[in-house]
Amino acid sequence: MAVETASRGPAAETGETVEGGEPSFRPSPIGWLARGIVWAAIAWLVLIFPLGREAFELQRYSEAVIFGIIGLSLNVLLGYVGQISLGHQAFVGIGAFTSAYIVTEQNLSFWVGVAAAVAVGGLQALVLGGVSLRITGLYFALVTLAYGLVAEKNIFQIQELTGGGLGQPAPKPKGFESDFRYYYLCLVFLAIVLWVDWRMMRTKSGRALLALRENPRVASTFGVNVRLLTLFAFVVSGAFAGLGGALLAHNDTRVSPETWSFNLALIFVIMTVVGGLRSRAGVVIGSAFFALIGYLLDKFTILQDGLNAIPGAPDLSPEIARLVIGPVLLLLTLTLTPGGIGQQIRPIVRWLTGHRFDLKDRGLKEVQISDVRA
Amino acid sequence: MSVLETQSVSIRFGGVFANTDVSIKVGEWEIVGVIGPNGAGKTTAFNIVTGFYKPDRGRVLYKGRDITNLAVHERTALGMGRTFQNVGLVKGSTVRENLVSAQYLEADYSTLAGMLGSPRTFVSEAELRKRGDAVAEVMGLGEFLDRQVAGLPYGVLKRVEIATVLATDPDVLLLDEPSSGMGPEEAHDLGDTLLELRREFGLSIAMIEHHVPLVVRVCDYVYCLNFGQLLAEGLPEEVRNHPQVVTAYLGEDAEDPALQKVEEKLETLLDTD
Repeated sequence: MAVETASRGPAAETGETVEGGEPSFRPSPIGWLARGIVWAAIAWLVLIFPLGREAFELQRYSEAVIFGIIGLSLNVLLGYVGQISLGHQAFVGIGAFTSAYIVTEQNLSFWVGVAAAVAVGGLQALVLGGVSLRITGLYFALVTLAYGLVAEKNIFQIQELTGGGLGQPAPKPKGFESDFRYYYLCLVFLAIVLWVDWRMMRTKSGRALLALRENPRVASTFGVNVRLLTLFAFVVSGAFAGLGGALLAHNDTRVSPETWSFNLALIFVIMTVVGGLRSRAGVVIGSAFFALIGYLLDKFTILQDGLNAIPGAPDLSPEIARLVIGPVLLLLTLTLTPGGIGQQIRPIVRWLTGHRFDLKDRGLKEVQISDVRA
Repeated sequence: MSVLETQSVSIRFGGVFANTDVSIKVGEWEIVGVIGPNGAGKTTAFNIVTGFYKPDRGRVLYKGRDITNLAVHERTALGMGRTFQNVGLVKGSTVRENLVSAQYLEADYSTLAGMLGSPRTFVSEAELRKRGDAVAEVMGLGEFLDRQVAGLPYGVLKRVEIATVLATDPDVLLLDEPSSGMGPEEAHDLGDTLLELRREFGLSIAMIEHHVPLVVRVCDYVYCLNFGQLLAEGLPEEVRNHPQVVTAYLGEDAEDPALQKVEEKLETLLDTD
């Protein structure tokens, strides 16, 4: 009856490969050993390698981890909901100032500061999204852009909050004064964000987000309140961004207003897209890379040396380097691999999580340029 | 009492009167067909019933309750399930993921508990998956569970879509051209499935359908729309032979001997099922 007819459908005839149709695959002991070694290598790179490094280097590593959190924050909005925010630097910046203000001016603990930054980040998104999420796509992007500029010209000019031109001091928390301890603290926060993001996408709200990004009408017939859930995702994104901001503030032990310019918002968007929308590993790697560009340029001077050979070439400051390298990578991503780094490393990630190694499995699930075009 | 009812519903888009005084009833355990030429306003009527459009005039009743002003997701919660003409599925996900996504309201944990990963959510998730698999089995889709929706043939997609709607646990199904993209044989099987669904789950069904043999076989009552107005209603055979319905499908000159020949030929073709 029905089953037979279905199996004689065109797909069965053309012999298309069955996606994910290997639930019974178990790696051999040697396979597990190999995977264990690679896992150990990754753990070494993240946990042991930074030990004993100099303070300024550790700060850059912490920054890379924090950028991972910020990338995941933008991934919620850009990857899951399909809305673009060009004012994310404001969310991060306000988080940074909130925590710095609470610790320095109110003499409360770091933990209160972080909690407040998360809450303020979510609240901002709730208010801004509540007003502006009636519109979507390009127009929503414009609203966030305007919000970022308003924050830059107004909120960040409030002397009491930001401490004026000198900025607001933001000491490291008790017990985490040393840079390597703070680095581990950042890792813990990144792990928490990864966990929440993972569980969200594995439960009803995350699935509903994916459905409404692709087709809001279908999502609503599944019983999803589309407006409310979009707003919810924006709040989650804002809360993550607030957390990232607070951690950044205490990493540099001082926040100054001019850090939070529109350039930074662009970098946030670029690093998320280049990392790979909807790929947690890709987003974290992409974000960390963009955080480390300046550091890497200092470390490996080939590029600067090459540039120096050309008369009149500019000095590659980290800021400039990001804004040059970023768009180039963005173009390459959009034209060649819309899934970004996440798409490239997917075979490895699959292999590491106990699946068969399949170079062709790029698992590109309808990642389209339209995702990014907003 | 009727499960679903529209009372002289009207809507216009600019100068187009998409629905004028459309009154449709779906009784309990009934399978109701809505037919009509392209652009007759059938899908518009469905969109009003499911809440995508607010009618300018008229009311929509569900089990005797006025739901004219409820949003789409609220109607889903009441037990209304709907499929789309151009397949309403999450194309980037697998069939199983779609079936679990559709159970948004069935999940018995809060969004926050899900995000924090409370142990109970893992149990609930396993139950949702099991239930989704069971629904797929009912619709004969067991072998497609791990396939990504985007690569499946159209006829299968239509069945997957019905399965996802079943997963929302509806009392009424509204199917927009369920047999499009299917061959005669598959359409016949679909008819079997629909009758079985009614028997097994006590569903009421309203469907927009062009495949006449399917309509005649499964529908208890048929409405024919043309230019946004009800042209005829009654038992399937009555409506099919209604002179105005024939005119609507074949044009004004249905008395023309040449056209009548075409009509006869069509009839025989459609009756071969």
